[in-house]
Amino acid sequence: MTTLLRRATQAGVPLAVALVWIADWAGGWAPDLAETLGYIVPGSAFVIAGLVAWSLRPRNRVGRLMMAVGAGMLVGGASLQKFTTPVEGAIFHALTAGQCVSPGTCRMLDFPSAALFLSFGQIWAVLLLHLLLAFPEGRVRVRPGRMLLVALYILVPLARFVWLVAPLRPVSTAYAVVTGETVYLACLVFGSVLILRRWAVGGYARRRSLSPVLWSLAPVVLAFVPWTAVTLSQAQVGPTLRGFGLLFLTALPVGFVVGMLRSGLDLVPIGSLVVKLSRGLLPEQLRPALAEVLHDPSLEVAYWVPTMNSFADLEGQALELPPPDSERAASILDGETGPVAALVYDSSLLLEPDLVDAAAAAARMALENARLQVQLRAQLEEVRQSRARLVEAGQQERQRVERDLHDGAQQQLVTLLLSLQHTKAEANRRSDLDTAALLDSNIASLKQALSELRELARGIYPSILTEAGLVPALRSLAERSPIPLEVSDGIGERRLTAQLEATLYFVATEAITNAVKHSEGRRICVSLVRNHETVVLDVSDDGQGGAAVGVGTGLRGLADRVAAAGGRLRVESDRRGTTIHCEIPCGS
Amino acid sequence: MPRDAVIVDDHSGFRDQARKLFERMGFRVVGEAATGSEALGEVRRLRPDVVLLDIQLPDIDGISVAASIAAEGPSPAIVLVSARDPLDYGSRLTSCGAVGFIAKADLTADSLMALLRP
Repeated sequence: MTTLLRRATQAGVPLAVALVWIADWAGGWAPDLAETLGYIVPGSAFVIAGLVAWSLRPRNRVGRLMMAVGAGMLVGGASLQKFTTPVEGAIFHALTAGQCVSPGTCRMLDFPSAALFLSFGQIWAVLLLHLLLAFPEGRVRVRPGRMLLVALYILVPLARFVWLVAPLRPVSTAYAVVTGETVYLACLVFGSVLILRRWAVGGYARRRSLSPVLWSLAPVVLAFVPWTAVTLSQAQVGPTLRGFGLLFLTALPVGFVVGMLRSGLDLVPIGSLVVKLSRGLLPEQLRPALAEVLHDPSLEVAYWVPTMNSFADLEGQALELPPPDSERAASILDGETGPVAALVYDSSLLLEPDLVDAAAAAARMALENARLQVQLRAQLEEVRQSRARLVEAGQQERQRVERDLHDGAQQQLVTLLLSLQHTKAEANRRSDLDTAALLDSNIASLKQALSELRELARGIYPSILTEAGLVPALRSLAERSPIPLEVSDGIGERRLTAQLEATLYFVATEAITNAVKHSEGRRICVSLVRNHETVVLDVSDDGQGGAAVGVGTGLRGLADRVAAAGGRLRVESDRRGTTIHCEIPCGS
Repeated sequence: MPRDAVIVDDHSGFRDQARKLFERMGFRVVGEAATGSEALGEVRRLRPDVVLLDIQLPDIDGISVAASIAAEGPSPAIVLVSARDPLDYGSRLTSCGAVGFIAKADLTADSLMALLRP
């Protein structure tokens, strides 16, 4: 049915255009030939070029939009005194049953159907703007653009209708001229700016199809600016300007057809892609290769990662596919068990579905391999984050236990101790020396228990780390160390994150404990330096050496803890001593 | 010898025992507080001679409370106490305006007298 309609239209439209020309040749209703030609020559060109575009791309709306622009011009835009085309005059006289010669000679309120018809005289300018916004895909993909067009389709005829039926119309003739010319120029200039912007931000394919339109549009805009200025000053447009304006406007549809033809990209580069793929492409090389074939440097490749339930880039970072009706489009490549990858590209490539499909099919195997790699990276990242969370949870749990010990058991025991001391004082006051001696023994035991509990709590999580930070905590270690311990502070008073401070502190305590227990050294040095993006901790002793990460669980556990924070631990140990070197990223 | 004392600690059991200790030493315990902000209010209101001030308080820590009191002019003798070791607090203990620190386990009439003796 659609094909039948298309063929009927394609046969009927040239006939209708011919009839317009015959009507004009026969005299018709248009008194000004130059004015008439200004509408029917470019109008005919748009209709015929639209037919060609429709034949080339039957499913694309561009051809039909061009025909609509042409039809709008052929029907024309009447002023008060004259009709611009004979068709317009004929229709007007039919609607007024011959009772009215022109809109200026009778009360249009009495002929509402004729007024309604004339209201659409300027609609071709809105249709032209629509064409500019929709080219080359045939659809206006941006919501604000669609809303603007809807508003113009309503407001432009409405404003004209109000003017036509207004009781004081002669007074508002200038208004009609001003608004009419402004609508034409505004649509043309606004459409040109938008199409220029789309050309500037578009990929290769888009630019290729928009360039001819821009080249043919520029002289039209340049001619229309003085044209509008002359008309607004109530003067006659001279023959030279009129002639050039007519020529440029007639050439405009040719620009659209050439643009449509140029939007077709060839499939030859697919062969070179296949050759490259057969030589083996790394996942990192896949995107540039596809971008080259599809002539779209902005092309992105997104890989499906089932564990994330989303698409991701090569680094395993989640990627959102563009929403429908945006300047970007996506093609999803499906495998046997679900999506494999998606190509995200400039929406002008939607005109070339075969090319995109061919490129995606050629790269399918490489895309599958790359997807597996991305999935692996995403899983590794998840494991790394999970390990960091476990370490952080462990540290938080240590803090909680330390706090519970302090607030609970320690406080109860301290209160009991004070109570016993008070009772002992009472016993002494009553000269009950046996009871006092017994209490004294209990007090000593309780103090010992408290001291051990305090050491235990400090070992679990030292409160000085929370209270004062890493450097004071290290200095506190130095004060308790049985071997002279020197702390060299290179980070100043600026605090690090709690997790980082805890990690560095426990590395230092473990390294110091090892040095005290096994090194037989005479001194220990702890040095802390902050570089641009890392914190470096070195714990060195001058002992007998013999330490290694694989020996015992202490250093192994430290290495794991440091790795969980994204850092690395190195042990250098020989007869001159041992150095534990730890580097952890700390951000800038 | 100072006579009036205020005891600040969030554990009521400890405050009771500390009150007995002070009273045994001849002090008059004129007020008690369980938080840092309460402590600041009580010290301003009662103007005691001695404040026994726990470091681990639920709102403001005792070291900051001591610094605030010391900054307000003629200050009472502030004795900081904690169930933790003094090494856990580093140099903050010496720079806050308190006359000294006693671990709660070592809080006796003798240790207090040693700090409060003029």
